[in-house]
Amino acid sequence: MRLSWPQLLIVIALLIVILVELRTVLAFFEIHLSVTATAVLAVVVIGALVLWTVLSSADRSE
Amino acid sequence: MSNTFVDAYPKQARIIRQAFLTSFIALAIGAFFGLIQALHRTNILRAIESPTYYTVLTGHGVFLVITFTIFFLVGVYQWAVTESLERGPVDMRFTWGWYGLMLTGTMLAAFAILAGFTDAIDVSADVLFTFYAPLQGHPIFYIGLVVFVVGTWLAGADWFRTWLAWKGENPGKRIPLPTFMVLTTMIMWYISSIGVAVAILAFILPWSIGIVESINPTLTRTLFWYFGHPVVYFWLLPAYLMWYILLPKLSGGRLFSDPLARVVFILFILLSTPVGIHHQYLDPGIAEGFKYIAMTNTMFLLLPSLLTAFTVVASMEHGARQRGGKGYFGWLKALPWREPAFTGMALAGMVFAFGGFTGIVNAGMNINYLVHNSLWVPGHIHTQVGTAVALTFMAGSYWLIPQLTGNRLVGRGIALFQVVLWFVGIVIMTNAMYRGGLIGMPRRTAEPEYEGFNYEVAAGSVGELNAQVALGGTLLFVSTMIFLALMILTLFNGESEPIDNRTIPAPLSGPEDSPPVLDNLKLWVAIAAVLVVLAYVIPLASIVSRGGLFGPDIGPFPVFVEPVSLLIETVLVSIGW
Repeated sequence: MRLSWPQLLIVIALLIVILVELRTVLAFFEIHLSVTATAVLAVVVIGALVLWTVLSSADRSE
Repeated sequence: MSNTFVDAYPKQARIIRQAFLTSFIALAIGAFFGLIQALHRTNILRAIESPTYYTVLTGHGVFLVITFTIFFLVGVYQWAVTESLERGPVDMRFTWGWYGLMLTGTMLAAFAILAGFTDAIDVSADVLFTFYAPLQGHPIFYIGLVVFVVGTWLAGADWFRTWLAWKGENPGKRIPLPTFMVLTTMIMWYISSIGVAVAILAFILPWSIGIVESINPTLTRTLFWYFGHPVVYFWLLPAYLMWYILLPKLSGGRLFSDPLARVVFILFILLSTPVGIHHQYLDPGIAEGFKYIAMTNTMFLLLPSLLTAFTVVASMEHGARQRGGKGYFGWLKALPWREPAFTGMALAGMVFAFGGFTGIVNAGMNINYLVHNSLWVPGHIHTQVGTAVALTFMAGSYWLIPQLTGNRLVGRGIALFQVVLWFVGIVIMTNAMYRGGLIGMPRRTAEPEYEGFNYEVAAGSVGELNAQVALGGTLLFVSTMIFLALMILTLFNGESEPIDNRTIPAPLSGPEDSPPVLDNLKLWVAIAAVLVVLAYVIPLASIVSRGGLFGPDIGPFPVFVEPVSLLIETVLVSIGW
């Protein structure tokens, strides 16, 4: 496993925080992300992170 | 064999547990009030009438930023002094005495606030935490505050007395760093809390009792903010102590520099107080020049925070490399992220950076006009005292409570989730508060959007902002309840293994690497006093000369303040005002 469970939890929390703040920053450059788009982006990014962590763990166990 | 604080100092552990218990009760009430506010303001759940909102708001402020923080402070400082001097107080009865005074003051103030919920008693104090005129509370509220503050003064006297006794037994030795931090914090507190003591005893309390008919609002506001900004550091410095003392140990290493830590605390003695006028940029009656001086002093205050960021992160990196961490950033992975005490403090430090940046906006005279009295300001205070301090205290408790009880922490994994939940909750809530502030959404109101008026939101919508505040506030409340549940379970946990060793490793660069003048507390007090005089004497004299001590056309009364009045008049005449 590339990240331990505590590390994964913290990286997910950081990603949520970055997405919340990034949406605000982008709005000041006239790039408007809707709540739905932000939520979808969050699910995709966090999902990819979890898959990357779990699959790398599975690779090693094989 | 067990080597916890309670094994070595059972009597001291008992009073610290008591202080923490009081602190956590206040946290529970304050957090509940916070949830009510978050849901009410955003119009999601209105369980109370809007006028009652201000009783809740006062309770939220006072119970969290006075009771929760300062009872935790006295607990952690008692631990720091006892542990670093390796001895208890000179007289434990005195120690229990100041705790009793603080508790009595809290009960009185709490009674005055909570009585506001009922009409059956003619007592209320819906004056908010910033209790300056023209809002007037019941005298019991002010008496409670005074008794509480006197209790903290005596706590400081107790720690000075303990240090002097230690000094007699250890002539020529440098002050151990944790005790140095305690003593410097208390010096700052003595200098700054004089302002609020004078404001209450000489003006607000006589006014609320009816001894004097009027008050000079600018004067009492200025005296409040003389104390109101340094009190932020009174909350923050115990968190700093834990970052400097506990975080390096938890990281697996040692503090990078003892001398830098001493310099930081000295800078807080010097710079904390002559800055309060930056809270009054929009107040009429104070000349712009004095506001400019306050702004300059405030910007200097960034220095100790930046020094702290450097020293603490350097200590963490050292610890991570001791644990096998490598590379420019790879060492971050080697930190003990599974430890809630470490993770909570590290995340609190990260949020503190957000608060620092927004604090620069507050402190800048011109940009302040944009955010003054807006929702931006509660956003700032929730990142600072609401996270840098509160999250550090909660995280630190995961290490301290086992030390104080001899009981193993229950639910380490849940504790980790709790601190992370707080981190996410605070960012979601304060992001909306900052954005709301930028569009002029006011603070301290149950009705932030008047009928027939729509804010022009730069990003998102008011509905989204409200949803974020309510969601963030709810997550924070849930996080607080999890924390308190874990504390109760730990308190009653019969298991005593494993508990971390209580030994704090020596710094990489110790006190011997710094000049002894750093420990000359009298020198720093003298310089701080000069700075306070330079920053405040002329503005105060100007305010009194324009508005009188008790407001226009009201002579000084009672007579015991006449000498003060005469002295100020003499100063005014001598400087040609």
